[in-house]
Amino acid sequence: MAIASRPSPIAWLLAPALLLFVLFFVLPFGVMALMSFYSGNPATNSNAFLTTRHYERFVFDSAGIYHDALWATLRIGLITTIVSLLIGYPLAHWMARMQSRLGHALVLMAVIAPMLTGIVVRTFAWMTILQDKGVINTLLVDWGIVSKPLPLMYNEFGTVVALVHIYVPFMVLTLTGVIGRIDERLEQAARSLGAGRLRAFVEVTLPLSLPGILAGSLLVFALSISAYVTPSLMGGTDVLTLPMLIAQQVGTSFNPNFAGALGVVLLLVSLLIVIAYNRILARLSGEQGLA
Amino acid sequence: MISRRTLLGTSAVAAATLAAPSILHAQTKTLKITTWGGKWGEIMKATVLPAFEKEFKCTVSADQAFPYVPKLQASPKNDPLYDVLHTNSNEQWNCFTEGLVMNKITPKEAPNVADVYPWAVSDKIVGVAIFTSAIGLGFRTDKGLAKPTSWKDLADPKLAGARGSYIIPVNSLGQCHLMMLGKLYGKGLQDLDAAYKALEQLKPIKLVDFTGQMEKMLLSGEVSMGVIHDSGVYRYEGQNQPVDFASPSEGVMALEQVLNVTPGSKVKELAFAYIDYMLRPETQKLLAEGVWYSPANKKVKLDAKYDEKLLTTEAKVATLIQPDWKWYNARKEDIDARVTKILKG
Repeated sequence: MAIASRPSPIAWLLAPALLLFVLFFVLPFGVMALMSFYSGNPATNSNAFLTTRHYERFVFDSAGIYHDALWATLRIGLITTIVSLLIGYPLAHWMARMQSRLGHALVLMAVIAPMLTGIVVRTFAWMTILQDKGVINTLLVDWGIVSKPLPLMYNEFGTVVALVHIYVPFMVLTLTGVIGRIDERLEQAARSLGAGRLRAFVEVTLPLSLPGILAGSLLVFALSISAYVTPSLMGGTDVLTLPMLIAQQVGTSFNPNFAGALGVVLLLVSLLIVIAYNRILARLSGEQGLA
Repeated sequence: MISRRTLLGTSAVAAATLAAPSILHAQTKTLKITTWGGKWGEIMKATVLPAFEKEFKCTVSADQAFPYVPKLQASPKNDPLYDVLHTNSNEQWNCFTEGLVMNKITPKEAPNVADVYPWAVSDKIVGVAIFTSAIGLGFRTDKGLAKPTSWKDLADPKLAGARGSYIIPVNSLGQCHLMMLGKLYGKGLQDLDAAYKALEQLKPIKLVDFTGQMEKMLLSGEVSMGVIHDSGVYRYEGQNQPVDFASPSEGVMALEQVLNVTPGSKVKELAFAYIDYMLRPETQKLLAEGVWYSPANKKVKLDAKYDEKLLTTEAKVATLIQPDWKWYNARKEDIDARVTKILKG
């Protein structure tokens, strides 16, 4: 009995990860959530009192910008995820089915290479390409294709382009592992039974790769909705997301309590979307509790 | 053979020698400050701070990771993260409202304060300003534009889509520009309705969140004219860049570099000494010529090329307009929401 209740030695290996999770997620989130219910910082200000005013401020949105910011955040996250999936899936499928080891290594390097450069640098590179005097607009105007520069930047389009570039590798790497583990013979069996290439893919490979689609999509969605640097630099005044508002509240309005409330709202809304997405995909794949 | 006495003596000397650095370190006071990066930071770290440490036999711990105010807010008031806070004036007012910094620095605490221009200790300043920049208009000289003489020149229809300013909620230059619009088109700096209306008229306008980005946009030709501080343009002098700075006739807005001491500092005397040191004419000259900031100390004599362009006389200083940040900060949330809606789309 005593032996049965003793934790497995393997369980101890989880301890560092658990400690990191508690120290760098649970604890900061707890502090943030607590702060969001205070009028000030209770640790440094004895006059700080409990209040729900920060949540009321968001819910009633008398300023008329917070609901728009939440919707913009989710919209940019969803579009980035869908575009990343559309670009990443074919690439991941190709990589997973590639016979040549050298070819696989080269494509893998090409996918990973952008991740070796910082997000700020990559975003500035996109600014150089998409701005009014950037590479694309300069060429289009010089060639007489357009008379004035196209609005490629300082809007959601430019923001999504840069985010997709940054997050596609996450989608590809996640999908490659899952697709690579799907037995090719299943697809071959479907084809030998008369299914065309497309039907074999749609009815065999695609459903079996749903766990990868789910994992990759959640990863890209989570990264996109929490992105700050890229929407700030690429969005101009046309894009206002919750992370930008949170940074604004902390860095220039010096209101960490309202920033905490915005953070809690973003997390709760994201969790709801993730749960719904998980359930839909689970139902589609005929499994329960897919992830 | 070593006697017991010799052994004990030698051991005592050795122990004292080994312990000496830590004892010395324990006695050396540390001054915790904030300071900028870039060229300013280079000069501070290479010259100003080592000289201060040597003279005052202390160590200086300088934080260059902006923003500083949230970090100060999170630290206990009786043991603050910084002894001296260096920020622009708007942030000092936020800190003062929360009791995080002192009100005024007087000649009693820092004798060189007696030699500063009135703007450096005016009622628009908490702490003491050690430098200022002039916020005006930067423009391209290769676009056939006449040198702007008025802030209203930014509204020239020819500049549609090629004019630049800042994302007002996050940048004090943008906030200054908004107040200036109230003065230009309304009853004064605090006429927000007139300012909002004028801001609407400036669309399409390119807005950025920090001055470095505006410099980049001017240099790349992405904007032909934009709101910027004089040092953001003058620093490219001698690099053959087609950009120049204009001081509008209505006056230039002040972008002050302000130092202040935290009330809970354990080394207040050293903190005041640091502020006094930063106001010394030789320190002021070094930094003013290094980064093109106008010095606060009246006794500073700059070299001719700097003296010509920076605010170094009573007459030039009279063109400075200092915003009332206490008034602005009290309304910032409402202003942020309003301008966000105006500038979206």
